[in-house]
Amino acid sequence: MTDDVSASEPGIAAIGAYTPRLRVDAAAFEEAWGRFDAAGVQAKAVPEADEDALTMGVAAAQRALDAAGRDGEAIAHLAFATTTPPMAEEDLTPRLASVLGAPADAATRTLTGSTRAGAQALAGALDAGPWGRPAEQADSIGLVVVADSPRGAPDSEIEHAAGAGATAVVLAPDGAGTVVDRAAHVESAPGSRFRGAGDAETTGLGITQYDREAFTTALGGAADSLDADLSGVDAAAVQSPDGKLPYRAAGALGVDTETIAAGETVSHLGDTGAASAFLGAASAFDDGAERVLLAAYGSGAGANAFVVDGAVPVSAALSGEDQLSYAEYLRRRGEITTGEPEGGGAYVSVPAWQRSTPQRHRLVAGRCPDCCALNFPPGGACRDCGGRPDAYERVELPGQGTVEAVTTIAQGGAPPEFVEQQSRSGPFLSAVVALDGPDGGGVSVPTQLLGDAEAVEIGTRVEATIRRIYEQEGVIRYGFKMQPVGRRR
Amino acid sequence: MRDAYIIGAGQTEFGAMPGESYRSLFTAAVDHALDSVPAGIDTDAVDEAVVGSLGVGGRQIGLSGPAVTEHAGLDGIPSTRVENACAASGYAVRQAVQAVRSGMADVVLAGGVEVMTDMSGDAAKYWLGVSGETEWERLTGTTFAGVYAQMASAYFDRYEATPEHLSKIAVKNHANGAKNPNAHLGFECSLDDATSAPAVADPLNLYHCCPTSDGAAAVLVASEEVVDEYSDDPIRVAGVGAASERVGLFERDTYTGIDSSTMAAATAYERAGIEPADLDFAEVHDCFAIAELLAYEDLGFCERGEAHELVEAGATALDGDLPVNASGD
Repeated sequence: MTDDVSASEPGIAAIGAYTPRLRVDAAAFEEAWGRFDAAGVQAKAVPEADEDALTMGVAAAQRALDAAGRDGEAIAHLAFATTTPPMAEEDLTPRLASVLGAPADAATRTLTGSTRAGAQALAGALDAGPWGRPAEQADSIGLVVVADSPRGAPDSEIEHAAGAGATAVVLAPDGAGTVVDRAAHVESAPGSRFRGAGDAETTGLGITQYDREAFTTALGGAADSLDADLSGVDAAAVQSPDGKLPYRAAGALGVDTETIAAGETVSHLGDTGAASAFLGAASAFDDGAERVLLAAYGSGAGANAFVVDGAVPVSAALSGEDQLSYAEYLRRRGEITTGEPEGGGAYVSVPAWQRSTPQRHRLVAGRCPDCCALNFPPGGACRDCGGRPDAYERVELPGQGTVEAVTTIAQGGAPPEFVEQQSRSGPFLSAVVALDGPDGGGVSVPTQLLGDAEAVEIGTRVEATIRRIYEQEGVIRYGFKMQPVGRRR
Repeated sequence: MRDAYIIGAGQTEFGAMPGESYRSLFTAAVDHALDSVPAGIDTDAVDEAVVGSLGVGGRQIGLSGPAVTEHAGLDGIPSTRVENACAASGYAVRQAVQAVRSGMADVVLAGGVEVMTDMSGDAAKYWLGVSGETEWERLTGTTFAGVYAQMASAYFDRYEATPEHLSKIAVKNHANGAKNPNAHLGFECSLDDATSAPAVADPLNLYHCCPTSDGAAAVLVASEEVVDEYSDDPIRVAGVGAASERVGLFERDTYTGIDSSTMAAATAYERAGIEPADLDFAEVHDCFAIAELLAYEDLGFCERGEAHELVEAGATALDGDLPVNASGD
């Protein structure tokens, strides 16, 4: 059945797409295993040790907001979808909202459980629109953030295929991309792809014919429910657990294989789970497509299909920068590292951390009302004049700065809470950076720097990005790190 | 105010001493200090004790003052632990001098103790990072080596010194340490050893960093009223200075010096009525070779940016104009 699409339904104002810079290719697996089990995958994206679905989602969201020319304050509806939430239980979307600067009264949704979670989030956002208070609806936006980094057992097809990436979709009343039609279809067919409660690795029964039929039946059911004519789509961005299965659904979807090829990213990003069809759509729009079918599938089974018309602006970072060997890949995955050693970590209680989140998430400094110096973090005596102001004026820093002092913490030199990061990613840079003030001046902060030591010296210009800082008491602590300007993808 | 005098001093060997506890080490240092008093001294004469310790390992983080002084047989006296990271024992001596000069005590024991080698390298690195600013600086993945390395990076960027000057300091201090029976690393090293060592935190390599050690030291401070009972040739404490500054490097006004050292030295010189040029030798904090280089400037041995010239000239070697860290530190 075709969902109701009202004339006033908002459109897609922009899409942001982010993939980690690391890649591992099929040859690396073949060398290690004598074979590579992910059909149609030549290379795939690999998250850094301090990246996860949330941080990748932030990067995609920031690109989407930039491409749409909007900022976080306009967000009235924020949805986050992933099959790999960094925490099995706990609402992560408020952290996303905090980093993006979304208002506290924004509606938030978290969707997970299958690879169609992203499509469900998009459908839900469209169902819920227009968003925000009636008087502000014209200026309010919805933001759907879909990020994933699937994992399987090292010797499984799922792991061989598993990539990583994120897409964010800005929905706005005047969005350039119109969702001309959308539909969903469910069909009880379990077992293709699942993960038990508490398990870290996704698996499947691997019953080829059954899996293929469940896939094509659900997707075909959704496509059949569309009124829109699919023969004219420039690209079909189809769920891609590997590089072959989407083509098996060509007939059921009523599109040719070239159209599917125009909307695929699995061959060079791998299986990006819930973000799969979204990354395909981002890639297609980025390549100039103006009518795109987005078709997502989730084992269980269900499918969603959307037809989007228009030249949607895209800001995408889809190419790889650094190639990993298979051994380096295993390190990044934590397969051959042992986790945080005994010894203790810097104890920052969760309440103390929570008080610092405006600084960690959005670089909120304080201006001394007496001497105008910036303080970071603000509080206590002014670091410049030594006075004790009643309150510091809130100043959100633009997020760029200059390296003032820097060292590379060599292998073995990290304190216990950073040993696992170092085991996975190697030596890291720790620096003091003078952050620019919004109108001159600045304030110094300590930070890790991403990138190679050779690319950084005193005076190097750097900019902020959100990463996992560390984990303590089972709570992941997210905050800013910095990287050389121009390194951002 | 009356003067304070050092009438005795003692220390243990430094190194890995798995057979010793923090209490036995402290007691050994106290015994050496008591034995060193020329006219002898009874433990009953000690009015107070001040013990500097970071408490590495967390073994007796509370009441660690009484825990060590009771072991040394100093029962009943006021006994306090002073914690100011690497400056803890320096502050203990200052507290002892203060107690004596104020008239509240006639003989005060000041000491320091640390046991750092009876734990895993990871646990040791946890403790080596606890004195950095915890909520921000430490969470960039630094221990003290990282913070001093950042200072070195800024110093080398600003001035003409190079990492080789740090290596030369390491060579000098190893040579001195080889002559010191209590030194942890009692061997000489070549400049090649000290320049080609593996990196710890760039630009600092292994030879630019001190090892972790077990050991203890103690001095006895006496008032001018009683000093003659213990020594014909006591050493007068001419001046003591102390200061503090922002804990986090990123909050300091400069990364190429340690302002609290500069302020503390200025106070000590003023109280002693001397200039840096009047000094015959100096023992300075040398946890990392860059710390000694910065100390030359902070303590007024040379102008800013010129510390490497003292190294080049050998001015701070054992046979130089102003030997620094003759102990090997």
